[in-house]
Amino acid sequence: MAKEKVRIEDISKPVEQLVKLTLDDLMPLPPPYDKPGEEPELTEPSPDWRDRYVTDLDGYIAIDLPWKPKTKEEEEELVKKFLSGLQKLLDKENNWTFLQPLMLSIEYCARCQTCSDACPIYISSGRKEIYRPTYRAEVLRRIIKKYLSPGGKIKAKFTGDIELNAKTVIRLAEDAYRCTLCRRCTQTCPIGVDNGLISHEIRKLFSQEMGIAPKALHELGTVQHLQKGSSTGLTPEGFKDIIEFIEDDIEEKLGRRIKIPVDEKGAEILLIHNAGEYLSWPENPAAFAILFEEAGISWTLSSEQVAYDAVNYGVWYDDVQLARVATKHAEIAAKLEVEKIVVGECGHAHKAISVVADRVLADEYNIPRESCMPILWDIVRKKKINFDPEKNNFPVTLHDPCNMVRLMGVVEPQRKILHELAPQFREMTPNGVYNYCCGGGSGFAIMQSMNFPEWRNAVAARMKFKQILEAFQDCISPDINKYVCAPCSNCKGAIRDMLDYYNAPEKCSIYYGGLVELMVNAMVDLEEPFIEWEFH
Amino acid sequence: MIWLQALVYFSFTVFVLVVLAKVVKYATMPIHLRWELYPVPHEKGRAEHGGSYFEEADWWKKPRETTLIGELKDMLMEMLFIKRVFEYKRPLWWFTYPFHTGIYLILVWFALVFIGALFEIAGFPISTALVQQLGFLSWLPPLIYYLTWIVGVLAMALMLIFGLGLLFRRLADEGMRSYSSPIDYFNLLFIIAVVATGVAAWQYDSDFAVARSFMKSLITFSPLPSVSGATVLHVVLLSLLFLYLPFTKMTHFFGKYFTYHKVLWEDEPNLRGSEIESEIKKVLNYRISWSAPHMKPGMTWADEVLKVSPNEIGVWKKEEEK
Repeated sequence: MAKEKVRIEDISKPVEQLVKLTLDDLMPLPPPYDKPGEEPELTEPSPDWRDRYVTDLDGYIAIDLPWKPKTKEEEEELVKKFLSGLQKLLDKENNWTFLQPLMLSIEYCARCQTCSDACPIYISSGRKEIYRPTYRAEVLRRIIKKYLSPGGKIKAKFTGDIELNAKTVIRLAEDAYRCTLCRRCTQTCPIGVDNGLISHEIRKLFSQEMGIAPKALHELGTVQHLQKGSSTGLTPEGFKDIIEFIEDDIEEKLGRRIKIPVDEKGAEILLIHNAGEYLSWPENPAAFAILFEEAGISWTLSSEQVAYDAVNYGVWYDDVQLARVATKHAEIAAKLEVEKIVVGECGHAHKAISVVADRVLADEYNIPRESCMPILWDIVRKKKINFDPEKNNFPVTLHDPCNMVRLMGVVEPQRKILHELAPQFREMTPNGVYNYCCGGGSGFAIMQSMNFPEWRNAVAARMKFKQILEAFQDCISPDINKYVCAPCSNCKGAIRDMLDYYNAPEKCSIYYGGLVELMVNAMVDLEEPFIEWEFH
Repeated sequence: MIWLQALVYFSFTVFVLVVLAKVVKYATMPIHLRWELYPVPHEKGRAEHGGSYFEEADWWKKPRETTLIGELKDMLMEMLFIKRVFEYKRPLWWFTYPFHTGIYLILVWFALVFIGALFEIAGFPISTALVQQLGFLSWLPPLIYYLTWIVGVLAMALMLIFGLGLLFRRLADEGMRSYSSPIDYFNLLFIIAVVATGVAAWQYDSDFAVARSFMKSLITFSPLPSVSGATVLHVVLLSLLFLYLPFTKMTHFFGKYFTYHKVLWEDEPNLRGSEIESEIKKVLNYRISWSAPHMKPGMTWADEVLKVSPNEIGVWKKEEEK
């Protein structure tokens, strides 16, 4: 656990833990968090985790499987499996999905480090080498050059050496889960090299070859999604119960009952929400129902397994699982004979079905897919509903979900809505396509095992927390309620946990929620405020 | 010195062939999943804020509006000014930009020497004197003469000074040093050596007249003029550099085309019945040999997706729990 700089070749070092984080190293935060003692201390990993789980990188565990090899044979087997997976990653048929982008990024990095300072995790951690965007990329590049190319062992002496042992493999796997795939680094690369993609490809290697991935993403994520209907475990019956509950809730707030359309064949839109909304933030699907009904939109939800959960965790770690989930979504939309699929406030589901999985859908599965944002903006722009912006007269800032903005280009509609309906709207700096990740990207928001949430809150979410505090510096006093508008379920989850970790609702009265809640809150027809300023 | 001439032809041919082969290799890779990154500069009216056609409801019913000018502008800013390094790593830009300008200028110098050689082959000598036979273009040869000199000297100076500067920076910048391998230093030293011998050769050929007649011989396949030892050494090193370049990451001059145009700015939607859709159907027939518990090795991608029932999807288990 040396304090000195970690070098590339140190990844194979036979030490128990390569890096240890301390609060002093981390990026300072603005007031009122600028004094010592304002944030929780970092903890040591529990000693009994060390034998079974991989604490060998920085003491934190993202991959919550007891996969650490114990014997020499297990270690050798692991290295062998890793190399066979790596070969497949470089193979046309096994990895047509990303072969060209991967090869380009392996080949052309000039090691100029222009990208490093774009990374919120690298900066927040106090510039720890293992989090530098180029670190894992360089490790992978050296392994490929040394172990998979002819004369590699000799060439490695000149092109950069590395030792591939079990430590290298397990640390590389963990390190691939210290990057949120936000791809801010890629925006700064003069050559167009994509170090975020390298993290994605390393994750794929472990998942597709060995089945190694955080449980929240794989076993309880895509696998549960395909088998039970939702990564939350929500069943079709449970879903229908919640819809009824939401209808009751709407009746209470709106003064009249709305029938939420479910499984309505031939509707124009199949709206799909992240199922986390139904369980954690039912006010969000409720607000969608109110807006779509009031605006007279032809829409439906689906109660069929998989289709009432928009998530597609495959986009973060496994192309086959990505394709399976996306195809299932499309299949159900085709059965319902809708014109298009519209994704609710869920960033990665936006990107997964509209952008990344666009190229796994063909023929009857190739159904138009859209973001909800332009539709919501049309409601405001065309004055389909009466709004009174004065009802939203409190400080509001907007968090840009990376998947929706930098990675899909949906930037303006949500801003235009806020400019119309939130008089005290202020931007974060930077924002739009140059935003910072919430810290929950690429699955981190739902990975709650062992000590991973501590790392997420203290390091990955730190830059976003700083931005939120800065956006509200003029009204930071707890007397004023403030609203972080995050139109994405996973971002909301990460922001909820982050605010809670830093005790920000109590210290600064910072709350969070989606965009549609703000819209409904501004509706003239509603007598009581829709936003309740309760932290949940 | 037939061997020197042969070496030049050989290394230049290898350079062209290997670069072509690499371009073909990347150009013929299968279609990949979409992975664009905004801002995408060809999105008309939206590139300024980084938007895409997804900002429009029913985008798939509307014609796509793109702007080639937007794309060219971004490309040229990057090619001519290395914009991203200027914006995100200014201290490096002060070295890398003049260095790369030196490379561009030396390419211009080669072009000028080549054109000058063609003029001389046609019987119009390149010197400070006007060439009356060329009529109203009589000023062209002296223009080429002076331009060759200015461009050549400037290019050598920039590459030499800032090549050394880059070497120094690589050693001084901790982040760069720890990621540099012997080959990175070798590459820089190699280029510096080529330029340094070029400077030495220039001492015996102050107005590049020898360079021009050297080029003349290369074009006309006739024997080389007699040249200084410094020139021989320079030409040998330069030829070796040309042989070596296509095998290194220094080929990013074309790699960059693919990273931007084929990945980061590639936002072509898969509309029904489009060419992309038929490409996709092709790659979905590739076979998988991944061996995780949730895979069925040997199946095609299409079958993995459509024919594996959810209950057959296995998950990782510890050996003793299997």
